[in-house]
Amino acid sequence: MNAVLDGLGALTEPGVIGGLVLGTVLGMLVGTFPGISVTMAVALASGFTLTLEPVQGLAVLLPIYVAASFGDRVPAILINTPGTPASIASTFDGFPLARQGKAGLALTVSAVGSLVGGLAGIILFIVAANPLASVALQFGPAEMFALVVFGLTMMVTVAEGQLVKGLFAGLAGLLLGVVGLDPITGDPRLTFGVELLTSGLPFIAVIIGLFGIAEVFEQMLTHRKGESTVITQMGRWTPTREERRRIRKPIAIGSGVGVVVGVMPAAGGDIAGLVSWTQARRSSRRPEEFGKGSLEGLAAADTANNAQVGGALITSFALGLPGDSVSAVLLGSMIIWGLTPGPTLFRDHPDLITTVSGILLLATALAFLLSLLRLRGVVRLLDLPRHYLWSTILICCAVGTYSINNNPGDVLVMLIAGLVGLAMRRYGFPAGPLVLGLLLGPLAEANLRRTLVIGGPGEIFTNPIAAALLVLSVLALAWPLLRRRTRASRAAGRTPEGSLPSPNPPEGPPS
Amino acid sequence: MVVFRRTAPATVLLGAVLIASAACAGDRTPAGSAEAEKYPSKDIHLIVHAAAGGASDMTARALATELEKDLGRSIVVENRPGASGSTAMKFLASAEPDGYTLGYLPVEVSMLGHRGYEVKPGNYTMLGQVVNVPAVVVVPADSPNKSLDDLIKAAKSKPDEVSVANSGPGSIWEAATTLLGNQAGVGFKPVPFDGGAPAVAAAAGDKVDAAVAGVSEVAPSVKDGRVRALAVLDAERSKELPDVPTGKEEGHDITVGGWGGIGAPAGLPQPVAQRLRDAVSKAAQAPGFTQTLTNAGAVPTYRSAEEFASFAEQEYTRFADVLQPSGS
Repeated sequence: MNAVLDGLGALTEPGVIGGLVLGTVLGMLVGTFPGISVTMAVALASGFTLTLEPVQGLAVLLPIYVAASFGDRVPAILINTPGTPASIASTFDGFPLARQGKAGLALTVSAVGSLVGGLAGIILFIVAANPLASVALQFGPAEMFALVVFGLTMMVTVAEGQLVKGLFAGLAGLLLGVVGLDPITGDPRLTFGVELLTSGLPFIAVIIGLFGIAEVFEQMLTHRKGESTVITQMGRWTPTREERRRIRKPIAIGSGVGVVVGVMPAAGGDIAGLVSWTQARRSSRRPEEFGKGSLEGLAAADTANNAQVGGALITSFALGLPGDSVSAVLLGSMIIWGLTPGPTLFRDHPDLITTVSGILLLATALAFLLSLLRLRGVVRLLDLPRHYLWSTILICCAVGTYSINNNPGDVLVMLIAGLVGLAMRRYGFPAGPLVLGLLLGPLAEANLRRTLVIGGPGEIFTNPIAAALLVLSVLALAWPLLRRRTRASRAAGRTPEGSLPSPNPPEGPPS
Repeated sequence: MVVFRRTAPATVLLGAVLIASAACAGDRTPAGSAEAEKYPSKDIHLIVHAAAGGASDMTARALATELEKDLGRSIVVENRPGASGSTAMKFLASAEPDGYTLGYLPVEVSMLGHRGYEVKPGNYTMLGQVVNVPAVVVVPADSPNKSLDDLIKAAKSKPDEVSVANSGPGSIWEAATTLLGNQAGVGFKPVPFDGGAPAVAAAAGDKVDAAVAGVSEVAPSVKDGRVRALAVLDAERSKELPDVPTGKEEGHDITVGGWGGIGAPAGLPQPVAQRLRDAVSKAAQAPGFTQTLTNAGAVPTYRSAEEFASFAEQEYTRFADVLQPSGS
């Protein structure tokens, strides 16, 4: 009990409160600005916090992390550009909603989802940090490979409706993921002697290009033709009772998926959002709305990317293993403060768990309030003449992308990705599967090859967790096909001639 | 189908590109005649090969803080990650040798040249070594190998089958594994991971037979008892892990570490170089810097500019045996 009181007592110091407010505001801004990664913000801030007391330092750094995942939804919804990779899946439904004049509603729903997800992550952090950490340690290369393969099966869901084109995009993503150094031998692959490419395609530059830049290009091309897609109104802000009821289930799914993905080492908010969006779609009564402006899809994605934060902190604090790149930086700071992350952390510093939970809770609450407040200001931004808006977005994206590595080549990649994204939109290829391939392909390959080096091919099938995950992957792939077949045979049963036109465009593969 | 109807989009695009390139150009320090008595008369840039937040970045920033006190000018730490660190190394080598562009020189300076990159110690004016992170050999907590010698014997009886996790292909800890194997006359099966921490985690999860990583990366897991440290590959025991014997104590006299120092482009004028050597010497031994490093599990290690230059050359020669150019 004393530890709890001590931990809470630490939170009442003015320095801690001040740091918390500062960190939260900074985090919101960083999240909103595409290209400025949370990792970089936390890393730069940690330069200043090293000289502080650990609690004060954590009170600055943790809120940046928490608040950024509130801020990054805003550009995802309004300009189709994820503020950080964690909100990739938020663009799927958030931007279509905004175009339907429901930007206000989308922002409110995603803020609520973020709040619930954030709280779910924190609760798990409080009750289960240590036991969960030891489960995560069981995930070696074989298990990680199988988990990533399971993730890759999402391509089919993300692409549904345009299955063939979606799979093409997914394969292109996998191929692009090969660019860079071979994960085992270190040989350059598909780099064509270009030094920039030896680190692989710069992921953030690619997603900013594919989503944000492509959107700006598209608007530039279409606005003269009177088919403007610019958002002119925010619409109402508060969801109706029916809408509130509908987003309950996806928020629950998002919370669950988010914390699980968060606990996995090396899997961050981007993966959490995508997995959750897919799962919510699978279990939804209105899967056809997903990707076209579904409140359920948006809620699922945003809930998961915030729930992920608590999960990632579990792995970092209780295991000393970074759950994502932001927590890797946090770990660095903690080690310098003399707080050795790992199972002994909370044993040696029992008050720390209360303090950290308290900081997380306060930051989440504050970020949520800020999300509701700042909504009014957003509307004025949209009143800007369009070319000002476009130039602002392009410049912000270019500067943000440049700042990642101080490398102009990244900006070039961003622009090329923008053109590719534009072409993909024009010819009906979805960008989601490409991002998924680019994100998960290298993870799958590196872990598979590690597994093969360690124990040969048998390793994957004799490992119970890996084998189970692979079976699940096969089921996940077969499920939509099976469902379509049962539906088709049911339909055929009703119409003996089987002559009714199919409700779906005939793009799926022969099942 | 895609037709640009008017020039506005292209103008906007051009604007964005121009601004981006202006931002890049702003980073270049204009060439100026280095007047030693006035040096430094403006801010100094310190190039770091790794992204913000990692161990090298932390070291560089901690040192920058101390250097600022002595030189009386701001030190702007500039992260230029990419291409295994060679992007920053080449950038530094081609910068104006006027003392306003310095760089953190990691052990990769002596490694990348053997992997097909145009990077070698001779490209730089060395100003002093500041840090060393010794390699540590760890095994899973319940491993049958109780000592470094047990592990070597296991590798002798099953050549190329004892799996040893490391921080990635062509990385210092992979090289350390090979150097240890060569020294003992055995072959290990190296398993590259994406960094030292995941390699140690693989050992903690009993996925590999052993792992080699830096003392700062293994210390938390060793203290928790999730892995057992067999040896520190350094001349002395680590203050962080005082119970772990050195390689030499275990009969394998080998030292490998992830070292780092400060350098400038080759051809730095003598008076400026002298001013910087003194500043680096002072900063590297300042309590503020050494304490930060010690807390992070690294070993503050100062070598003078001359010693550092010849040490980097020795390392360059030693790594020639264990690294192959990528792509061959």
